[in-house]
Formats: sequence, structure tokens, C-alpha cells
Amino acid sequence: MAMKDLFEKDFMELERDGILFTTLSKLVAWGRSKSIYPVTFGLACCALEMMQSTNSRNDMARMGSEVFRASPRQADVMIVAGRLSKKMAPVMRRVYEQMPEPKWVISMGACASSGGMFNNYAIVQNVDSVVPVDVFVPGCPPRPEALVYAVLQLQKKVQGETFDKDGVQLPMVEGWTRS
Amino acid sequence: MNPAERLIADAVTMLTEDLAGERSDQFGEPHVMLPASNIQEAVRRLRAAGFDLLADVMAIDWSDYPGHSGPRFTVVYNLYSIETVARLFLRVNVEDGQAVPSITPQWRAAGFMEREVYDLFGIEFEGHPDLRKLVTPEDLEGHPLRKDFPIGETPTLFNEGRFLDPASFRAGMLGTDAGRTGWVGGARKGVKSEQGREPAALESGEGGEA
Amino acid sequence: MSDLPPRATVLSEESRGDFSTKLMRINVGPVHPATHGVLRLVVDLDGETVMGVQPRIGYLHTGFEKTMENRTWQQVITYTNRMDYAHALGHDLAYVLAAEKLLDARVPERAQRIRVLLTELNRIASHLLGLGTSLLDMGALTPFFYTMRERDKILDILEMVSGVRMNYGYFRVGGLSRDVPEGFEAMVQAFINEFPERLEEYLAMFADNPIWVNRTKGVGVVSRETALEVGLTGPSARASGINYDVRKARPYSGYEDYDFEVPVAEEGDARQRFVVRAKEMEQSLRIAQQALVRLEPGPIRDPDRRISLPERHELETSMEAVIFHFKLVTEGFHPPKGEVYLPTESARGELGYYLVSDGGSMPYRVKVRTPSLVNVQAIEPASIGGTFADMVVNIATMDPVMGDVDK
Repeated sequence: MAMKDLFEKDFMELERDGILFTTLSKLVAWGRSKSIYPVTFGLACCALEMMQSTNSRNDMARMGSEVFRASPRQADVMIVAGRLSKKMAPVMRRVYEQMPEPKWVISMGACASSGGMFNNYAIVQNVDSVVPVDVFVPGCPPRPEALVYAVLQLQKKVQGETFDKDGVQLPMVEGWTRS
Repeated sequence: MNPAERLIADAVTMLTEDLAGERSDQFGEPHVMLPASNIQEAVRRLRAAGFDLLADVMAIDWSDYPGHSGPRFTVVYNLYSIETVARLFLRVNVEDGQAVPSITPQWRAAGFMEREVYDLFGIEFEGHPDLRKLVTPEDLEGHPLRKDFPIGETPTLFNEGRFLDPASFRAGMLGTDAGRTGWVGGARKGVKSEQGREPAALESGEGGEA
Repeated sequence: MSDLPPRATVLSEESRGDFSTKLMRINVGPVHPATHGVLRLVVDLDGETVMGVQPRIGYLHTGFEKTMENRTWQQVITYTNRMDYAHALGHDLAYVLAAEKLLDARVPERAQRIRVLLTELNRIASHLLGLGTSLLDMGALTPFFYTMRERDKILDILEMVSGVRMNYGYFRVGGLSRDVPEGFEAMVQAFINEFPERLEEYLAMFADNPIWVNRTKGVGVVSRETALEVGLTGPSARASGINYDVRKARPYSGYEDYDFEVPVAEEGDARQRFVVRAKEMEQSLRIAQQALVRLEPGPIRDPDRRISLPERHELETSMEAVIFHFKLVTEGFHPPKGEVYLPTESARGELGYYLVSDGGSMPYRVKVRTPSLVNVQAIEPASIGGTFADMVVNIATMDPVMGDVDK
């Protein structure tokens, strides 16, 4: 079709002909959300369910998390899977700081989100006090389907469909950047 | 007498006669109490006699035990003989601050076990090649499994200001105490517990995450 | 310690000459794709040869033993399975057996058989996980997905029974929490029927593969004396020639009635540790089949009212049932004073709970003799003299679970 059709035709006709319209930030957010690579940060029992979520039955790779990168430099999301002990907390902070921006954190399981059943001297009672968490996943351990759902929620968050406490939709970049 | 019983009988005889041991069985398992100074020799002889697996080295803190008098700790050694299926326990009573000779130089399996006992109870093992903390963080001072070390519970804070202090909640469940639910900032108007005392109040800045 | 095996490639003094080298000390972990969980090792390397390994543990220390002193005897069961989360029912079984020894409880036959059946299925799941992740550490990605498929089937069976896929709270002191549902036996039988050929399928994937044979044969040899020196137990010890399986030596929960073998090998290398685990899976399947066949209808809890909750329908008619129920739910039972130790065989080795009771409703001291804490000490003698890549294989085949190590 000729160039002048781009300016004359209605956008719905153009979509039928295979031309999509979007903004650059939406395009970038779409690309980022569909290829979120986690870093291997399995700590305890939830790590086994995280491994199960990558198996053939609940394939997380089809959501875009194709591989678990061992190097934090190549990862986008840190899935804190398991109870975080106070000895491990500085190590986790270091791994988080080594991840390049933009990065997100999923706190998987009850122990990471709130200390779980371990309310004692050894376990950090909320991983949010060490790294800023984007998605909390309840469960002990959460089913692999629950983790896949959490990754999908994170994808929505990255695409800009986040809402604050009062239900007002946040602008896209503010929704998922935090320091 | 089958081989296991014979081995244990010989071992107990050897320990009581030569090394000042005292038999004190628990639920059918043979335990022998020894003074701390004899433990290295006892383990050496028992290993030569056929106890070839050191299963465990553990400690018990008797501070809160009802009706207990005597040394504060007991270190229990768990020895096993694979050939004859015999198991023998050695007990060493130690005071707070007393050191126990280490059996790690002669038996490497005790390396991590004694370090764990040191880390969690504070009992020193003389002659251990590398006695330092094993499982607790470097900056944790104190020995967690002692009875006077607090468990470190943080209160559970609910959205509407209600909070639960786990220890008193548990005491209420066990019937030793009335148990209480506290409210941030003081009692709700008109609410008092049966004893007529105010429920515990949470000071600002406390509670929530650690 | 043992002499260097023939594979060592350390420069000798003569060939070194004036070329002076130092050992390089590197840190492996705690976040590392090949350490099974948060295990940290400080490794001294001479080029690629490992000269010293010091495990630094504690990155998953959860204070289990301290927490268990503050829960009632029945509530402790929620904590026991989180230690060794791969073979969770092994810990549950060890604890309830020890508590039952303290209470002198009589567990009915049906409960014991179901316990044995589920524990053996869980042992198969744990070995499948160990096998899959060990091969993953060596770079073989495909067998991991195959073993996870079977593991998912076992987890489905356990979910049907207890409601959760992992960290089950199914056993109780005195028996089971509730009976198995309809369709359980059919599902288990279907699994038992199809598993042997699946196991053949997995073994066919790597058993003749020259890469696997080269990476595991003769690698990480632990001699029998070394294994006894470091206190190694479990399949890794049986691969080194130590014929010790608690299920045969001191049978518990009816194991003396089942017909099974204990695979023992002599070489003590990584390949034999693999093979012993694979053969153990076959034997576990045998036990599971026998337990399934012998299941008869019957009670699933010790009828002693002081330990087990009464049946719900009795609460409508009997006042004493209500009182017992109230006391058990709020306070729990009170075992007599004393100390008891009961060893069991978990997928990793000898697992025993040493319980000290002061007559109260909460245990006074719970010491868990976990196999992985002691097995981690065996990584050093197995790895010295080999290459760094061999050390990865050694960690994988020793199969430590960090929840078990750090407690």
C-alpha cells in the first residue's frame, strides 16, 4: 500500500492490513514483560516448587521466563524462594544490587513474605526490609501454578497495569520503578 | 546374649571399672555417665572395641528442668557399632564455663558436631582444631539454644491495630495464663481481661517486621 | 587422610623447579547454580586441582530446635518436615516414632503400613530429585525434566492424601491425621505399575553415555575407612562399602516384615553413588507394593484417649470424649519424663530424633541428628586431588539438603 494511505485511512483498517500503533514506552514495556529471566535464588522448600514450575507440567518458560540465569548480571527478577535467614540477608542484598535495572523481586512463600511459621531470632520477618518486593506469593509452599500466576501478575505490573491503594491506575513507569 | 548385648556389657564394664563411669539407662538404651577428663580415652577404647560410627554429639541445658540440681549441661555422645547393631550413649555433665576435651583430633566426624554444640550452647571443646561459630550469623552474640536466650519473637501486627504477642498467646492456649490480645496504643474502650488488668500495649516503633 | 588418587595432576617438586606457585583460595556459593541450596565452600585450588575444601554453612539456619521447644508435642510435626524438604515424611516418621516410644503408644497396623508406603514413595521422589539435579549440575538438562515428571506423579498421590504437595502434616503422634481417600490404592497401583519402565528410561539416558561415565567413574572416591572417619551414612556410605541401613539393622514401624534388599557397592566413587540410589528406588518400590497389598481396613490412630483425639461422632454422646478433646486441643498430651532416641533411615542417611521430656506439654529439648550435617564433612576427602568439576559432581552425589544441614 502506498505511503499516503497511512495518513488517510482509518486506523482500524490499517490494523487489519497489519500495521499496529503504539507508544514507545508501551512497546518497551511489552518487550520487557514477556522475557523476564529469574536469577537462581532458591533457598529452601519453595525452591523445589520453583523447580517444579519449570517442568513439563507447569511450564514457566512459555510465560517468557525461559532460563534461570545463574549470574545476576543477566537476570531481571529475583524470586526469593524460601526462608531468608539473617546470615543470608547481606548476601541477598549483594545479589540484588548486582542485578542491572530494571529489576523486580517476587517474594515467594510465607517465609519470605512474613517470616512464615518461623517467628524467631534467625529468620528475617519480611524480605521487603532487605529488598523492595513487587509481588508477594502466599503459600507454604505455593503451588507451581501460584508462582506462574505471580509471574503473570508481575508481567501486568511491568506493562503498566498497576493500581495504588485507592484503586487509581498509576502511570506506567512509576508503577514499576523503585529504588 | 547376642553380640550386641555382649559388646555393650563389655563396654559398660570397661567404662565403670577403669574410667569412673556410672550406668544410667534411658528408656531401655544404655547410657553411661563419665567425667569430662575421661571422655577421650573412653572414645578411643570404644572405637577399638568395635563402635565404629560416631552418630552424634549433642548437649542439653537443664536450667529449666523441674527439679534438676547439678551441672547445667550434659553433652551426650552417640556411638554405634555397625557389625553388631549396638548403640551406646556417653554422658558428660559440665558446668557453665567448663571445657570438655575434644574428640575431633581422633575422630573427624565430631568436627562439625562439636562446633555446632559450641555455637548453640557455648560449651568449649579443648583441642578442637577449628572451634568457631558454625550456623549462626557472625554478628549474633550469645548462644541461642541456652534456655536464657530469648527466642526472639516479634509480635504479629494486624491492620486495624490489633497485635498478638506470641508468647502470651501460647501461654493462654496452655492454660498457664489468661492470654491476651493487645491493641496498639492501649486498650479498646471498655475492654479488660478477667484479672482486671489492661491488655499489653504495643509501644510505637515496635512490632511488624524485624 | 587418603593418598591422592591416580587422577591427581599436581606438579611434583622436581618438575616444578624454580616455578613457585601459591594456592588460590576461592569462594564457591552460597548463591551458586551447582551447590544444592545455600552451601558455601572455601576451596583452595592449585590450578584446577582442589587441595582443600572448607564448608561454611549456616545460611539457612532457622532455629528449628529452639522453636520446637516452644510448641506442643503435636504442633512440632508442622516443623519437622521443613528441615529435609526433599524427604519430608522421613522426618515426620522419625519424630512421631520417637514420641510414640516416649508415650508407649500402640499404633495400629493400617497406620503403620500407610506410613511405610508413603515414606517409601517420598524416598523415591527424593532420589528422583537428587538424580535429576545431579545430572543438571553435570550439564545434562533433559533427564531433569523426565525425573520431575515422575516426581509430580508422586506429589499428586501425596496431595491426594494430605492436601499439600510438599511439607505434609499427615502423620500424628499415635497414627495418622485421617484415613486415605477413595481411589488412593488405584492411583498408587497405577504408579507402581508404570514406574519400573520409567526408571529404565532414565537409566538409558545416561548409563552408557561416555561423558557421564567419564565424569563419574573413579571420581570422588571415598574409601570405607574414610567414610567411617567422617561419619558418613546413607546411600553415599553404602556406595563405599558400609552395609548400614537402619531399616534392616533396627527395624521400626514394621520394616522387618517387608522383603527388600539393601544395595551396597565397593568402589565408593560418584558412579556407584548414582547406581546405589537408582537401585534403592527399585527396592523402595518393592516395599511400597508390599505395603499396598497388605492394607486392610482398620483404625488409623491409637485408641488411647490421652494421646489421640476421639472420633467426632463420639463428641455428641460422651462427656469424657469432650473433655479429652478439649484437653488435647488446648494443651496437648504430657509424655512421661525421660530421654529417647530413635534412629530411622532417611533418603540421606541415619536420621534420629533425640527427645527430652520434662513431663510438660512441650518438648524440653529436641535434637535432630540430621544426616546431611555429617555428610557435608565428606565432601572434603572426596574432592581433594580431583579437579574443580569433580568437586561439583561430589557435592551433587553426596546429596545434601541445606535445610537438613543448618536446621
